[in-house]
Amino acid sequence: MNALHEQFVLEARELIHEATNDLIGMEREGTSPERTNRIFRAFHTLKGSAGVVELPSMVLAMHAAEDLLAAVNTRKIGVTAAMIDQTLGCLDQISRWVDAFEMHGSVPADAGEHAEAMARRLRALLANIAESPSVGLDHQTPATPVAGPLPEWISRLLGAERQSISRHLQQQPSMLFAVSYEPRTDCFFQGDDPLALMQAIPNLLAIRIEAREAWPALADFDPYSCILRFVAVCAGNRDDLADVFRLVPDQVQIVEVPVEALPRQGAPAFDGGTLDLVRAIVEEQRLVLTASGERDDLTGRAGAAGRTAANALRHGRLHHLAEPVEGAMETTVASVDVAALLSALDGAVAFLASDTEPAAASDGRTVRAAEPEAEAAGISPSRSPRVNEDRIDALLNLSAELIVAKNAVVHLARRADEELGAHDLARAVKRESETIERLATEMHEAILQLRLVPAAQVFRSFPRLVRDTAQRLDKKATVVTQGETTEADKTIVGRLFEPLLHLVRNVLDHGIESSAERRAAGKPDIATITLRASREGDRFVVEVGDEGRGIDPEAVRRKARERKILTEEDLAALSDEHTINLIFAAGFSTATEISEISGRGVGMDVVRTTVEQLGGRVSLTSRVGVGTTVRLDLPMNIAMTRIMAVEAGGQVFGIPMDAVTETVRLRPDRINRIKGNEGFVLRDRVVPICSLADLMNLPASPNSGGATRLVLVLETGGKIVAIEVDAIRDRLEVVLKPMQGLLSNARGYAGTTLLGDGKVLLVLDIKELLP
Amino acid sequence: VSVRRREDGTIVLADRCPVEDAEPLLQLLLATPGAWVDWEQCTHLHTAVLQVILAAHPPRRGPCGDAWVREWLPAL
Repeated sequence: MNALHEQFVLEARELIHEATNDLIGMEREGTSPERTNRIFRAFHTLKGSAGVVELPSMVLAMHAAEDLLAAVNTRKIGVTAAMIDQTLGCLDQISRWVDAFEMHGSVPADAGEHAEAMARRLRALLANIAESPSVGLDHQTPATPVAGPLPEWISRLLGAERQSISRHLQQQPSMLFAVSYEPRTDCFFQGDDPLALMQAIPNLLAIRIEAREAWPALADFDPYSCILRFVAVCAGNRDDLADVFRLVPDQVQIVEVPVEALPRQGAPAFDGGTLDLVRAIVEEQRLVLTASGERDDLTGRAGAAGRTAANALRHGRLHHLAEPVEGAMETTVASVDVAALLSALDGAVAFLASDTEPAAASDGRTVRAAEPEAEAAGISPSRSPRVNEDRIDALLNLSAELIVAKNAVVHLARRADEELGAHDLARAVKRESETIERLATEMHEAILQLRLVPAAQVFRSFPRLVRDTAQRLDKKATVVTQGETTEADKTIVGRLFEPLLHLVRNVLDHGIESSAERRAAGKPDIATITLRASREGDRFVVEVGDEGRGIDPEAVRRKARERKILTEEDLAALSDEHTINLIFAAGFSTATEISEISGRGVGMDVVRTTVEQLGGRVSLTSRVGVGTTVRLDLPMNIAMTRIMAVEAGGQVFGIPMDAVTETVRLRPDRINRIKGNEGFVLRDRVVPICSLADLMNLPASPNSGGATRLVLVLETGGKIVAIEVDAIRDRLEVVLKPMQGLLSNARGYAGTTLLGDGKVLLVLDIKELLP
Repeated sequence: VSVRRREDGTIVLADRCPVEDAEPLLQLLLATPGAWVDWEQCTHLHTAVLQVILAAHPPRRGPCGDAWVREWLPAL
């Protein structure tokens, strides 16, 4: 694949992703000119680049979609669920073609037929909608109260009219409602007077009238075609308000506004919309400044950019940022050097970047729910060089070899000491090797950083996925993501998709109640699924939370009994908390019926297996009626593994440290024989002993007569077991290489690593080894 | 018709301005771009008339005679 094709694949994926998010946002929050325009542009660009790489079928499909979107963009037609479904379907198809193009350099042979069928479907939609121009989504979207972020039109109005609204609320606390009324273009012919309806709104607090599209030239203006949009905020109750608009329900959207949504006086307006906008404007000014241009006009540009940025910051009530920007602007104008202003703008951007996150997180919901990547929406994303992953991995391998080579130096120092008696030399070599170790480790970590990717990479597909799945199940759910900037190794983030997919499907299928049940339980119609990533020490923790029906421990116990997951005694001994975690056991499903969405509960088993393969753990907490949270506790990096080298049967093996809970020396009298097996009591628990030599089919060492015996206590998969070894050698941090070639299928091995003396150490996978 | 042009060229809106006033108002504004609009005597504005004012954005003489418009749309 040549560079042009590579660029096309990258760009197409980004555009598909952006357009998908915008389409979902459009469905959920209604349209805005910026949004429809963004979608239109994405399709337009996709069509163009498909033409460049000569994919006529893709051009054909995109062209039809583009026509449809152009009609939406110019408000010729309204947005319908069918239209969004079809355009999303079109993006899916394009995405599959892009994958095929990447793999084979061409699209499948049947692409032409598919493209024609799709174009026909899209055009049919255009014809259908055109006949009934005002079929809007609005009557199906109103959510009361809105779950998640407020639509942009509300936050804009609230921001502008904050003072008068809060004054009213202080005098007379009440519920707040926002109304968006988009009269049909032919409403004047129906005898409607939209303004009269607005005047009838009881307890009006704020109103704004705007054009839904750009005003045409006056000569082309049709005075009897209504292109206005009315937005208002009022107090009181919903029924009175709905009564005003009872004749135009399809043109109006009523949303309850939580009083907390009102920006507080003095405090920065923590609505994501405003802050994102301010940040976008400030970043734009930065671009203006750095754009190449004549030195002569720098003064003008700096003045304009500085003033614009300062005004934007004041608009966001960030006066403490506006002042330094103005100061720096004067310096820059005086010295004809952009440095001062640039650094002030950078400071403001950094503050905005850091400030939006915690503020948004503190109220439990982030603004990202609406636009998973707000920074991608209007703000130029930080451009980092694209580096081929293979090159990073090659660097990583080299640095790992360096660490191994360093181990060899330590080995040499020991030999110098023991064999030659050169103690001073040995010490000096050891000291130097410590320096090398520090540098090698730092370098290794720096390279590992290159492999870090944000959790957003795996979260980004979920809004779409949840939308489609929920629709199929006839449920309502939205995804809120938190901490998507948290980074972890790309392998871990990449492999998380499957377990998260199973978890989210399970939540939608089993966790979230039907709308009727939710209403009966007093819960909002739209269920919220939270995807949260966070760092805890060197762990990368991902949680999937829902506020659905929760898991009933009794039901789990019953199922576990039926499926014979555990014996009756074991079950009785388990606490409720441990019991619900049984759903991760193989062959378990709490669903009464097997459904298409989440299958037979194999999903939960897959979740556990995948996470454990990555060196992580799964746990679950749940309260009946309140909801469930599944926690995936993963390492941030998978490259380094801490192992313990042990001897057994005359050989040396590595055992991963994360499995070992303690090492115990046992006098023979502590060991009991139970039915031919050995065991001992450790803190009131009977721990069976297995000999590692036996497990590996090696001859047992002869001296296990009367001397003390050494065991490693391991806890794995909920079981506790002691492994007897002959000796413990070193504890090492190693880079584990997977078993290769003929050995790649051998059970019981986690991988191999090179020791300092050049020997290969086999690292065991204890779980697979145990009977 | 409640829309007319005064001798000094100012376009005057008086009393109730119904939907039919939108077209004549637009024609007057097209004929004399930049003409003033006096709406002090206008007691009620129909949406269509308001829309023409929004689209043409002519300079206005006096506060609007429609109390609701005066109160809620002061920036108009």
